[in-house]
Formats: sequence, C-alpha cells, structure tokens
Amino acid sequence: MSDAHKGMLQGDLQDQKVKDYKSDLGVTHTHTVTLPGIRTQSGYVFDEIELSYQTLGKLSHEKDNAILVCHALSGDAHVGGISPRSGRPGWWDYHVGPGKAIDTDKFFVICSNVLGGCAGSTGPASINPATGRPYATTFPPVTIRDMVAAQARLMDHLGIHKLFATMGGSMGGMQALVWAVDYPNRVHCCVPIATCMAHTAMQIAFNEVGRQAIITDPNWNQGHYTDKHRPEHGLAVARMVGHVTYLSEFSMKAKFGRTLQRETKPEDLFPEFFAVESYLQYQGETFVKRFDPNSYLYITKALDRFDLLDKRAPAEVFKNVKARFFVISFESDWLYPPDQSREMVKALKRSNAVVSYLNLDTPYGHDSFLIQNPEFARALGNFLRSEYRNQRSLLKKATQPILAAKP
Amino acid sequence: MYQNLYRQVIDWIPERARVLDLGTGDGEFLEQLVKTRRVSGEGVELNPELVTRCIDRGLAVHQGDVMDGLDQYGDGAFDYVLLLGTFQELKQSEQLVREALRVGRKLIVSYSNFAHVRVRWQMLLSGRSPMTKALPSPWYRTPNIHFFSILDFQGFCEDMRIKEVASAYFNARGLVRWLPNLRAEVALSLLEGAPNGLG
Repeated sequence: MSDAHKGMLQGDLQDQKVKDYKSDLGVTHTHTVTLPGIRTQSGYVFDEIELSYQTLGKLSHEKDNAILVCHALSGDAHVGGISPRSGRPGWWDYHVGPGKAIDTDKFFVICSNVLGGCAGSTGPASINPATGRPYATTFPPVTIRDMVAAQARLMDHLGIHKLFATMGGSMGGMQALVWAVDYPNRVHCCVPIATCMAHTAMQIAFNEVGRQAIITDPNWNQGHYTDKHRPEHGLAVARMVGHVTYLSEFSMKAKFGRTLQRETKPEDLFPEFFAVESYLQYQGETFVKRFDPNSYLYITKALDRFDLLDKRAPAEVFKNVKARFFVISFESDWLYPPDQSREMVKALKRSNAVVSYLNLDTPYGHDSFLIQNPEFARALGNFLRSEYRNQRSLLKKATQPILAAKP
Repeated sequence: MYQNLYRQVIDWIPERARVLDLGTGDGEFLEQLVKTRRVSGEGVELNPELVTRCIDRGLAVHQGDVMDGLDQYGDGAFDYVLLLGTFQELKQSEQLVREALRVGRKLIVSYSNFAHVRVRWQMLLSGRSPMTKALPSPWYRTPNIHFFSILDFQGFCEDMRIKEVASAYFNARGLVRWLPNLRAEVALSLLEGAPNGLG
C-alpha cells in the first residue's frame, strides 16, 4: 500500500484517537461573539445570536483574502490547530494551515459553528433569554439559509464585506452554495465539495434512522432531558449509522476487514467482536460527549429540508450569481454521489456561471474530503491560488482609470 | 505538423470568441488561445491529473468525457467548439458532431487521414496494418477506433448536411495544398451547422 493510502486510512481528525498529532498551526482558539439577531425562515425572531468562531492567518490590508470555511453536520468552529481545551486538532487541520491547500500564510480563514449547533453558537441547548431555561425543542426550526444569514452577521462584525471564497464539504458545501446565491456580491468564488442541491430520499432516510434512534431513547423526554439523563444511547446509534454512510466498502475492508477485536470466549453470547463494531461503538461514545442530541435533530432536519432550487428553474435561482465555482466530488462517495454534483454543475453552467468540476477517484467514500488526500489538496490549492490571482487582476482593472479609449 | 495545425486554429478563431475545448489536456493550448485571442474559454478533460493542471492555469475545466462535457451546456453557449486530435478515437461520431454543433455555432475538428500515401503503400506491400508517424501505434494498442480518409470525412459531412466552411491539411513538411487525400497526414476542418438545426 502506498504512503498516500496509508495516510488516507488514518481517517479524519474527528473523534479519532489522535496520538502525537502535531499541527503546523500550534494551539488555536475559538471566540464567541454576540451579534444582532436574525429572523429565521420560519419567522422566528432572535433579538441576538451568539456565534462561536475561529480565525486563522491574517486579513490583508485590502481585505481581499478572507475564506469562509463551512463545517459539516458534526463539525464545529475549531477548523485547524490544536484546541487548548481538548488537545484535539481541528477537523480540517490536514488541509488548513501554513503551506497547505488552504494556505494560512496567504489567506484569512474563518470558520464558525452553525446556528442550531452545540459548540458555542446559539442552538437548542442555549438558554432562552425569555425563560431562563434551555430552548430544547422550543428552539425554532433552522435552515441552511438561516445558518448562512447568521454567518453574514459575523462577516459584518469582522468588517469583511466580500469573501474571497466560501467553501465546505457536505452540509458545508450547501452553506457555501447558499452564500453564492443569497449574497452574490459578497463572494468571489465558491467551492462546494461532496454536496448537493437537495437531499434525495436515501439521504433523508439515513438521517431519519438517526433521528428515530434519538427520539425513541427513553431519556429524550420530548427534548427536555437533563445533563444526568441524556439520550446518549440514541445519539450514539445515530452517529454509528451516520458514520457508516461516510465510509466506503473499500475503506472499511481496508481498515477493518474481518479482524476480531478480542479473543472469543465460550461463555460469550455473541462471541465475535469485530474491529469494525468496536470502532463504531467508539465513534458513538466519543460523539455523545461533545454533541447535543437536540442539535443533531435540528441540523439533520435542516439538511433534509434544504432545496436550493425549490421547484424553480436553475436560471432563475442562479440569475444574480457572480461567483466562480469549483465543484468537487468523489467517485466512491455513495452518500453524496458524483451524479448530484454533476447535476449541480449542469444547472450552474446552463445558468451561465463559470464552473470547474473535478471528480476524484479517492476510494474512501464521503469522508474523502476530511482525510489526508494529496490529489484533493493539490486541486483545491491550485484553484485558490489561481483564483486569487484572477481576483487581484479583476480588482486592478476595476480601479484603474481608463487613460485612453481606443478610437 | 501539429504546430502548424494549432497555428491554423488560432487563425480561424476571432478575438473574444467563446470557445469550448474538448479533450483539453493540460490546458496549454487553451491558455494560449485565451492569451493571444482573449477568448473566454472552457475545457473538458477526463484525466483528473490534467484537470488539476488546467485549474492551476486558471482555466475553467469540466472533468468528464466529451459527451458528458457537451451535455453541461445550453444551445449556442459557445462560438467555437474544438475537438483536436481525438475524433477518430471517439464512439458515436454522428451524435458527437450534432451535440457539438448544438452547443457551439462552429466546430473545429482535426483527424488523421487514413488514406495517406504511406499508409496505402504499407498496406499494399506488406499486407499489414500500417504504422506511420501520424499513426504510431500497432493495431492492438492504437486508441483509434475509426479509420477514415479526408474523402470519407467530406462524405460524412454531406450525409449529416453540415457545411464545411474551411479546411486545412498537413503533413510533416507543413501545409498540404494539392492532393490532400493522398499527401496529408492530418486534417483540420471548420464546420458549421444548418441555421435551423440539423437534419
């Protein structure tokens, strides 16, 4: 097996036993800011919202190098570097950092925990100022568009009018797309990775299994659980199902095969304990420690409800879009199959958007964008570099006085 | 030979045209077109490694095969569609040309001439599949699936009711002006679809 494949097999940086992992970014911090509120798509008005966010690198004098990285379902604001609290690396540390695909020597990287999340941003576990108690299931339904509206408030707060790029994988890609559609003048380029314009029945089905696991957990209590009695079992099962969909047959075979985790004993009821079972249980157990079950319900619903076109013609939806796109998919991703990306590319192109598309052979399933992946990193790095040059030359053209008009 | 061919393509394409390059490779030629002709260009390429290199050049590129690439665009999205070097390797020649002339107003296509004198000579004398500079691979390794001549191609255009607006023929010595079907090794053709759709 090549070194590249060994690197890939180590998996992503979330919920792994990351021993001796060194980040080029060193220790990084997240901040929490209170921002003016938003009105959600469902009509609920937040007077204020809190967002947890992280910035890496330096904002240029011209403020033209800001990249908003949007996280996926289980991610958070801690995108790169080592967290001082948990000692863990950020979820995209493989690809964000000095000299990496998203080069923090060049770019100012921003990542914020989504509205409805549970890692520092306003979400179902936050205290409702009106009642002094956690919102729990009185929290309004949130959508991908609401998440992006909240991020726009954060950009205002940071004094960034125009983002050089919005990007993200999976749910992060949906947010990146919404940025390009809802704020056409605030995005130079957009990189949706392993994502889609709307979930299919299969994608909704997997999420529904996860949700059912949570709400049928006796501890769920209509969402009003206590710290002592959380529906941890349900959330762990939800995470296990989810995690399987992020892998591929190849990656599971290569990683676990039929390896047994411990020797079988005659007195065991189900004696075989496969490595893959142990891995999934570990994934479930670590996840429940850091994730709020209600948040899982709200965010998966936001994913399922997302529909970029929403029965409108692509040309109408993308009418005002100015961003240049780089759409990336992975051949082995069966949760967000390449066809969904191609459909998106076609809709964008037929609406006259400038789009590049790359479908990589990485055999590691949906997780392919989260793991060490040199081909992916090179393509993403190339795009950002050449687009940054392009943006600079466009700005120069726009600001240069016209000296002499041709006769 | 190919330098001359590429120069001819550049000559045919007016400034600021919208160009789609099918099988764009690492994007070197398309980038040259963008720089010298200030065209707005996009490429289609199957190999992910080459796609990445196109992106490094700042080109918009779509990873996919030629048919999938064409399917991405609406009618008349481009002034020129380029299909350089691979026409004899592609299946569904008719569909491909139709699709290209849906997406582009004009199509520039290059192909190998299978009736070149050396090819005829080799087949006649040796009784084996020919190998020449323009057809360098043995039969079992060649990517070519269609073997046709300049006359064949002209007949194909007639059958398809496509107008060949211009053509240029080349061999190792340069431009071929007379007896192209005998003397040219590669051909370049500028096609235009019927104004009211094809056929």
